[in-house]
Amino acid sequence: METDVEKVQSMGNEPPHEDKERTARVSPTTAYVMRRFGLYLITLWGSLTASFFFFRLLPGDPVRAYVAQLQQRGSTTTFESSEAMLAHYQKEFGLYGSLFSQYINYFRRLLFHFDLGPSVLSYPTPAIDLITRALPWTIGLIGVATLMGWLFGMLLGTLVGWNRNRTWAEVVTNGALGFSHLPAYFVALFLIIFLSYRWRLLPPNGAFNTALNPEWSMEFILSVIRYGTLPVLATVIVAVANWMLSTRALVVSILGEDYLTFAGAKGLPASRILSAYVLRNAWLPQIAALGMALGGVVSGNVLIERLFRYPGVGSLLIDSVMVKDVNTAMAIVSILIILVLTINLIIDLILPLIDPRVKLTGAGG
Amino acid sequence: MNVIGRLIRESGKFKVGLVITLILITLSLLSDWLVRWRIGDVEPMKAGTYAIFLDPNSENWLGTDRFGRDVLAMVFAALPVSLTVAFMAGLLSTAMGVIVGFVSGYKGGRTDAFLRTITDMLIVIPTLPLVIILAANTRSLGSVKLALVLAVFSWPFAARVIRTQVMSLRERPYIELARISDMPDRSIIFGEILPNMAPFVAIGFAQASVGSAFALVGLTVIGLGPSSQMDLGRLISEALGYGVISMGKELIFIAPVFCLIMLFYGLALMSQGMEEFFNPRLRSGS
Repeated sequence: METDVEKVQSMGNEPPHEDKERTARVSPTTAYVMRRFGLYLITLWGSLTASFFFFRLLPGDPVRAYVAQLQQRGSTTTFESSEAMLAHYQKEFGLYGSLFSQYINYFRRLLFHFDLGPSVLSYPTPAIDLITRALPWTIGLIGVATLMGWLFGMLLGTLVGWNRNRTWAEVVTNGALGFSHLPAYFVALFLIIFLSYRWRLLPPNGAFNTALNPEWSMEFILSVIRYGTLPVLATVIVAVANWMLSTRALVVSILGEDYLTFAGAKGLPASRILSAYVLRNAWLPQIAALGMALGGVVSGNVLIERLFRYPGVGSLLIDSVMVKDVNTAMAIVSILIILVLTINLIIDLILPLIDPRVKLTGAGG
Repeated sequence: MNVIGRLIRESGKFKVGLVITLILITLSLLSDWLVRWRIGDVEPMKAGTYAIFLDPNSENWLGTDRFGRDVLAMVFAALPVSLTVAFMAGLLSTAMGVIVGFVSGYKGGRTDAFLRTITDMLIVIPTLPLVIILAANTRSLGSVKLALVLAVFSWPFAARVIRTQVMSLRERPYIELARISDMPDRSIIFGEILPNMAPFVAIGFAQASVGSAFALVGLTVIGLGPSSQMDLGRLISEALGYGVISMGKELIFIAPVFCLIMLFYGLALMSQGMEEFFNPRLRSGS
């Protein structure tokens, strides 16, 4: 997870032991991949461990509360005593024994069975099942919004940076500056007010028309797109503004480089300078930035889903938090951590393939 | 003082941000007085003072809500709560960020690698879910505890700014001179580095406050704020809860939303202005 600045800085000064490395048995690519993968495993282990202890240190005993709730409802049980019942459910939810054995148990279940325990909210359904049902919606929302925001932001930023002395570019930049500091859920509020209630163009909540059968029909897909437009738009508006500003800053600094003056002086057409010199140098660091931004997007998306009552993991998280379903909440956090870190790993592994400036000494160093 | 004067004169962004922030702070300091001015000696959150859902009129400038409370008075009463939590969280996370960033940048080597891995981890993984879960499971979270919770998850951003700065300061000739002349670490840090870090600590503070305010509003909008007091986010979540949008009574939550947006802008403009002023490489870019 090296930052761009350092990558660029490390370009210039080659370390003296470069030759020795070249003759070493392991090729630099393999070494880089192994180092990066090692860092991935360490971060994954570290953050899952941190989240495990975070959940165990929360005040309150979810199992005791759940058992008390069952008894209150007067459900008939086959247990001899409430203590036996408590012990049974503690075992079920992975809350049995010492903290350390719970910890070992959590990782054993996760690694070998990909099992995150049953949900308290809808026991005995495994939490992972609830998440698998909700995850496609979230991935769709975040995926479409992130890619659209990134692409349009990059294009606009390049245009605005290229024409930085024009009035319109100035206006667009200031507009983006305004939007970049808004939380997406405020934008979402205004979109709901105007597009769904005032002008009645798009539905204010849900993920599809509930009168339709969820199936791969044209009608259903169109409905999903229609219902998804507002939540995606809310995220995209803020994302475009942010990517546009950072791209503009990159483009403006590239335009000051000597090789660009040279390219202009030898008579290259503007279109060629823009595509081969400016865009290529600007979009590569932005790919690395995409991974770093992902955590924030996932966080913001929780609120967006809540606001639009979108059936993704964000809504599921808040629902389970409200009823103290710690197991499901923990499962969601684990899945989100795995997801975000894995995407970051993939980006970091792809980056050296397409960006020759990234030196393979890479990760963490 | 001189530097601040020059900063205000030269950076339009900083000036505007400062004015906005100062207005908000003044309004919060005058909160009690403003509430009394609008509705007299009535508790602003008490239901049934006026008729419900009044449109804006000469007495209730922004109208009243579902419980017959004056919207403007509620905003005046809620503003200081939000501001206090945001600034307190900003201060706490800046303190944590400065310590971690400092140790990381100054010590270098293994310590740096370790602290950086943790910092990056907290930046990369989505932390808002954790904040939400913590807030929901800690009953009656006071504003101090809430600020602490927000700070725990937002210090990495300040730490990153400070670390980069310390790294570059460390290599300056006068620091090397101090080191060669056997000055103790403590004197180098407090006598030589820290004074030059002040602007970046200020930038870190502004950014951390924005970040905390973002998370705070996120929490309160879904109904998980400081439990005892009404803050701006809670006003918004309450209004959304009883469906003001479908009734076309958006004015009830537009006022708190506006205040929060102003808070974000004020702080963000200040931090941007400072960054451009103290980091000339950025200035050429804009």
